[in-house]
Amino acid sequence: MESSPPRKKSSILPPGKENWITKNPFEEFGTFAASASDLPLDQIVQSTGAVMDRIRRGYEKLLEEEAKELVWMVQYNTIIKAYEVAEKYVKEIDYTAEDIEDFCFALENTQRIPYLIPGPAGVYISALCNYTKEEEIVLKLSELKTEINLIGFRLPKAKRLMIEGDTGDFTGIGLEGGELVIEGNAKNWTGAGMRGGKILVKKNIGLHTGEWMMGGEIYVGGKVRGLGNIVEGKVFEREKLVYPGKVRYPNLYY
Amino acid sequence: MKEQHYQSIIEEIWPELKKKHLYPEIPMPKVRGASNPEQDAAEEDEGVGLEIKHKQMTINSAFISKMKDKMLEKRVVEALLDHGISHYTFCPWDFHTHLRLYSEAKKVVGDKELAKQVSNYFIDVIADTHCVKKRFTEIPELHRNLEKGTIQEVIAFLYQKIWGIDLGIPPSKMSVKGHADIVRRLSRIPYLDRSRWGESIQRFARSLKPLLIEEQKQQEANGEKGERNPQGEHDLNHYSNEEINQGLRDYAKQTMALSEFKDVVEDFSDELKGAGYRMEGGIGRGRGDPIDADVLFYMKLAENYSIPLKKFPLEEKGSLHPHSHSPWEIGSPFQDVDIWTSFGKIMPGITQIWTKREGKGRGKFESTPDCLIAIDSSGSMINPRKSLSYAVLGAACAANAYLQNNSKVAVYNFSDAPMGGKDILNYTVRQETIYRVLCRYFGGGTALDLEDLMPLIQGRKNLDLFLITDMKITNLETLIGFFGQIPNRVTAVHIGDNPYAARFEKAVEKRKNISIFTVKQKEDIPHIVLGKIKDYFNSTQIKNS
Repeated sequence: MESSPPRKKSSILPPGKENWITKNPFEEFGTFAASASDLPLDQIVQSTGAVMDRIRRGYEKLLEEEAKELVWMVQYNTIIKAYEVAEKYVKEIDYTAEDIEDFCFALENTQRIPYLIPGPAGVYISALCNYTKEEEIVLKLSELKTEINLIGFRLPKAKRLMIEGDTGDFTGIGLEGGELVIEGNAKNWTGAGMRGGKILVKKNIGLHTGEWMMGGEIYVGGKVRGLGNIVEGKVFEREKLVYPGKVRYPNLYY
Repeated sequence: MKEQHYQSIIEEIWPELKKKHLYPEIPMPKVRGASNPEQDAAEEDEGVGLEIKHKQMTINSAFISKMKDKMLEKRVVEALLDHGISHYTFCPWDFHTHLRLYSEAKKVVGDKELAKQVSNYFIDVIADTHCVKKRFTEIPELHRNLEKGTIQEVIAFLYQKIWGIDLGIPPSKMSVKGHADIVRRLSRIPYLDRSRWGESIQRFARSLKPLLIEEQKQQEANGEKGERNPQGEHDLNHYSNEEINQGLRDYAKQTMALSEFKDVVEDFSDELKGAGYRMEGGIGRGRGDPIDADVLFYMKLAENYSIPLKKFPLEEKGSLHPHSHSPWEIGSPFQDVDIWTSFGKIMPGITQIWTKREGKGRGKFESTPDCLIAIDSSGSMINPRKSLSYAVLGAACAANAYLQNNSKVAVYNFSDAPMGGKDILNYTVRQETIYRVLCRYFGGGTALDLEDLMPLIQGRKNLDLFLITDMKITNLETLIGFFGQIPNRVTAVHIGDNPYAARFEKAVEKRKNISIFTVKQKEDIPHIVLGKIKDYFNSTQIKNS
């Protein structure tokens, strides 16, 4: 028995409407070509994102090595050791002052950088400033809620670091000839152990200013709350030399 | 004539524009000009090319006339419309995003006017950049030919840098003014990454802030008005009432912070009032008292939560109801004939009648009773006008649930009630009045005065009670005794765990008409079931209870 060949599937059209042509209702979109062009913005965002990732990774490695329990004590040798680790990572990165600034703000964004530990963060930012190619670095940090400690650590000769905003404790310690300008206030132990260079604080400064400083100058536009045990160097308060001088004593509260 | 000409240009290019932007749901743009009653305004604002109100884009004919020497009219219109459409299709997209961007900007600049300016500039940069990247547009050409103030010049230089198109701003000009530094920072912002807009606008605001402050000082010194945005201002006129409602609701839910919400609502209070947004009337619209941002916060936040409400079971009537069909016979009553299954014919064998049975269902439809909300506002509770109070939020959600079911709500807000720490609102359907009483805070001790409650309960056969407190009530035993006597459904919500709550729970555990819920976090609120009775569906147990 011959079996009839299987019938071809055909679209079912209403009777008498076989001549209807089925039209794709979205046909018009077929001709649409999304002409997304590459803008320089894409390139800038991509490269700054990549740099930020590397800076962030360096900071995380520093924390892994130096603040394993997320605890970090400010001691002479811990600062030196943290700085050596930071140097190791930042040397490998090509970045600008804006990247440093972005990193400072990213530290406050816990979604981007989970841990802000002021000590290592300050050491790391100092290392970033010291190893950037630019000679003059301007960090606009006046909107930063955190006052960064240890900023300007070991700032070398021929570098000028200008901070817009306030800084925390240990600002400009161990300064090595660079010029550090703070547009706001600086806290305690500013310029401790500095060997040379200049620190200019436009507003007030805290206690132990210039503790064990071996050279250089500290200029304060506002008030010096207390001087440290200064070995050598000069401290000016509103253009008046207060150290060396007869009036002031170490850690005197004014 | 001019307006007709421009309108014809719009009509000509509109289909192509819609296609280019993937058919946004926007009405055909209009032209505003001399023939309109707003003629004076058009002449005054020849610097502003586009106005958007409730999704209706209106092109300013004076602006096009002013630009036509520099650019073809058609291209000006197209650029303005591209810009306007991008606001709808990309940024800010909705009112919630607009508010969010504004509040992030305000965190940086601190000032209301500056924050509005920053968010407007930011929204424009995103919309234009999106359009330049994704579509073929005349926007760059428009920017090349626009007259620019200081900030607009900086923005144009930014465009030049991030679009890679020459807009006629020499880099040397920027360096001389010291603006190159600002533009370098601005150009690093990922404008097109929506997920980072919150962080991006803060960076944008930080960079632009010195310029804005400088400009503001200059304007104050000279007594001038600020620069008008040639691409149109971004105000609440852009949004429909529904979008504003939705935006406030989303913003309240997203922030969950009373102070932040209050701050933003107060900053936009003039615009909100202009949009008819006041507290009188159902959902916060209409004429009346000025906006109470605290009340509005709870109102909008409560709209995000839906608490299920069990309707009240009513007694069986035992009435007959149609159950099945049977053949009609001569002599059977006609009133039981089902005309639909009988094909309209009265004929034995064809005609069918309904056979009725006594129903097992309820005699009436289920309904919702009125509700008396008792809310504790003593010192141990959070002040709802200082920070988010789960008690007020819970009570607000409960009030909404009853109001939505056409029931009335009364409120008994108490702290040390016998000493006068109380506010009583009789049964009403006025939502904002209920919210105002709920938001009242007394502080001090906690004691209920049953004499206050009795007039609200007596004479109401079907009434639900909703109590929200931390249970640290001085006369808790009196309350337990009272709840032990009444047959009403009681939903008792306690905020957090404490021994008093445990004591209350233990004392009423055998009462079937009392349901107890704990709210420790906002997520617990939707778990409250109002008027829930244990073993609700088991009628024998209800009878026994």
